Amino acid sequence: MQRLDVEREMTKWTRREVMVSAAVAAPAVFTSRGAHSAAAFPAKNIQFVIPYAPGGGFDIYVRVVTPVMEKYLPNKVSIVPLNVASGAGSRGVTQLYRSRPDGYTIGILNIPGMFILQQQQGSTAYDLNRFTWIGAMGEAERYFINVGAMSPIKTFAELKALSAKRPIKFSVTGPEGTAYMATKIGAQLLGLKAQLITGYKGSADYVIAAVRGDSDAVVAAVPTTLRFRRGGQLRPLISFEPHSSIPGLPDAASVGQPELENIAVERLVAAPPGVPADIVNILSTALGKALVDPVVVKWAKENDVVMKPKTPQETVAIVTTQKAFFEKWKTALSAS
Amino acid sequence: MLEMWLSGFQGLLHVDVFLFVILGMAIGLIFGAIPGLGGSTAIALLMPLTYSLEPFTALALAGGVMGSVPMGGSITSILLNTPGTAPNAATCLDGHPLAQQGKAGLAIGAAGSANAIGAIIGTISVLAVLPIANDVVLLFGPPEFFLMSVFALIVVATATRGKMLRGLVTGAFGLMIAYIGYNDIAGGERFTYNIEYLWDGIHLVPALIGLFAVAQMIHLMVKGGSVAGSASAVKITKMTAGLFETFKHLGTVLRGSLIGTTVGAIPGLGGTVVAFLSYSVTAQASKNPESFGKGNVQGVIAPEAAICAHDCSALIPTLTFGIPAGAEMAVFLGLLIIHGMQPGPLMLRDHQVEIYGLIWALTASCVFASFVGLAFVRVLAKITLIDSSILVPLVLSTAFAGSYAIDMSIENVVVTGVFGVLGYLMMRYDYPRLMIVVALVLGGNIERNLHQSMLMGEGGWSIFFSRSISIFLMLSIVAVLALPLFRALFRQLKLRAVPVGSDS
Repeated sequence: MQRLDVEREMTKWTRREVMVSAAVAAPAVFTSRGAHSAAAFPAKNIQFVIPYAPGGGFDIYVRVVTPVMEKYLPNKVSIVPLNVASGAGSRGVTQLYRSRPDGYTIGILNIPGMFILQQQQGSTAYDLNRFTWIGAMGEAERYFINVGAMSPIKTFAELKALSAKRPIKFSVTGPEGTAYMATKIGAQLLGLKAQLITGYKGSADYVIAAVRGDSDAVVAAVPTTLRFRRGGQLRPLISFEPHSSIPGLPDAASVGQPELENIAVERLVAAPPGVPADIVNILSTALGKALVDPVVVKWAKENDVVMKPKTPQETVAIVTTQKAFFEKWKTALSAS
Repeated sequence: MLEMWLSGFQGLLHVDVFLFVILGMAIGLIFGAIPGLGGSTAIALLMPLTYSLEPFTALALAGGVMGSVPMGGSITSILLNTPGTAPNAATCLDGHPLAQQGKAGLAIGAAGSANAIGAIIGTISVLAVLPIANDVVLLFGPPEFFLMSVFALIVVATATRGKMLRGLVTGAFGLMIAYIGYNDIAGGERFTYNIEYLWDGIHLVPALIGLFAVAQMIHLMVKGGSVAGSASAVKITKMTAGLFETFKHLGTVLRGSLIGTTVGAIPGLGGTVVAFLSYSVTAQASKNPESFGKGNVQGVIAPEAAICAHDCSALIPTLTFGIPAGAEMAVFLGLLIIHGMQPGPLMLRDHQVEIYGLIWALTASCVFASFVGLAFVRVLAKITLIDSSILVPLVLSTAFAGSYAIDMSIENVVVTGVFGVLGYLMMRYDYPRLMIVVALVLGGNIERNLHQSMLMGEGGWSIFFSRSISIFLMLSIVAVLALPLFRALFRQLKLRAVPVGSDS
């Protein structure tokens, strides 16, 4: 059954590829430049695959950054966002993986989300290690453990004391979410007994669950935490960052758990395997310049996001670190 | 507070802003009318256009789109039994039979005016509730969501009077297919047979397009002729006939708007359930429930009023917490964030003018769209006279293309085809389709919220008895279940008193 599916997908791909390559090759015959010539890149619009529905976090990043990124490409073309949300995101990843490695199809990937998805689906249609990595949309998002503003728990020490008596209830997504992984690993590293209330749909949903008292506590990413803290609804207790962005809180360094820092969401930009280095360079440079452009910087500041360009090499290093971290904890995650 | 409302309104009076509301309305009408497209697609496509606009104008545009989508959707529901958007599926149930009787103009007019009144009532409620929205939204947790979903399911099930067993069969079938896909609670997939597409479950909109549009076209193809039979059957209705009809049933409008507003303010159920709930409650309350499903204009008014009221009040959880009530609101959230407005507790403090502007834009668009609908009633009604040999291919190709366009997957088309045949068989053998829709929407909700409630209460049922709203909802469920019994008892007593009474 599994093999049949792969075969079916393969034939579909080949047929589409033939059509696409015919369309791409036709003008190449008439121009003296080859299809892979960096001097000509980009000669047409670039498709930006988002393996999630419009409106989500990853979609928003792409829609904010790409109009600015267009400005920094050597030729005037558009970058067109394309949401391919089917199959919890696997359809989009697969499509990106199989597209032509000519730089005209790039996409955004959630790491470690995609490792988790692939493990859960058992999909062999793509190999995350083989993508051409271009850069990152912003710095990795790390986490806080928070309680609702009305909670009787005031400090991390009090949370720990409660955990000695009974498991702490955390509200979180289903096991496919990165927040689930963050909660599970975070609690384990910090020596908290955790009971997960699963199934919430996205970050606003599980944060509100903690605010209204469904759960004792919630693990939320830095921007989400800061936003709800300013609104007076969340009380952060401990940061997973090496040094807490909220002064006066315990953090990964102060509790002696540097591994907490590896619990993060990365929004990485990738292209199919085998894109020529010169084209990668053009895309990566444009992305890097876009991230420090005043428009993006202003938006990032409004949304508590840190935008810092990453070279392709740095991005590969992030994937390697995250992969190793995921492999290490994978068994702990599946045993629920 | 009051000056904020007014400044939001004043903002709309600028010519350019107003033009964007009108543009949004026109796009919303078209996208609403085409099955598979709808508000979320329209806003996603318009997003790049808004980059260069002021946030206020961008929101006015989005409000314009959101306000007119229900009107667009109701037109195709009535004329072709093709719900333009998921909530409009409820409008099909009586709207299309009216069209078949040659009263399409009346139905569209009623839908339009119900829409407009619903939006106005919804807006007033939102303006009143918004300042205390935080507290209201926080009152509802998993136990309440679970009970509300069960309540909705039971109300709809008991509304299929006389066909109770058939309703239960289709409801159970709907629940079965609702559990296909990824398991939110424990992880892992269920009933997907290694098909990647099914990981997300059976998608609602392709299924609805199949159940209603394709099924109806198969029926029309088999029957031949046109929707309304013959030209002489089409009643020449005045533009205002539908409008008057709505005012004649003001109680229905108010009830629908109230249901829409209340449920919209609480995240979780969504527009489709609201429409069916309003329809079912109206049928329940009616003196002659047998006329529903056969072309009762109240069956059009009730869902349409509820949909627009719901859309207004659904802004409450979306804006105050960033919890989207449906796909359309999710895309809209993205639009807000791109324009530097983070939905959440601070939204109401920092962006009041924009929010009130948005609400006004949405309402204005709803009202304008109704006028547009009313103005074109006579032209639109002629569609019911087109011969099936022309109409069927047109509608079928639009339906399948729309189904594909939702997220560019060919599997959607297969789902639409399968549900089309299923829907036709259900029509043919008189199985109510509304239960399948409601079960499909609520199945996942019920499971997830029950599970979360049990985890919250450490495995005990006591959690349901320790929260006041939860107790109230349980009592309501008991009341709804007891209602048919009382009714039967009452009828028996009456029969005994008047032995020659007819059975109904």
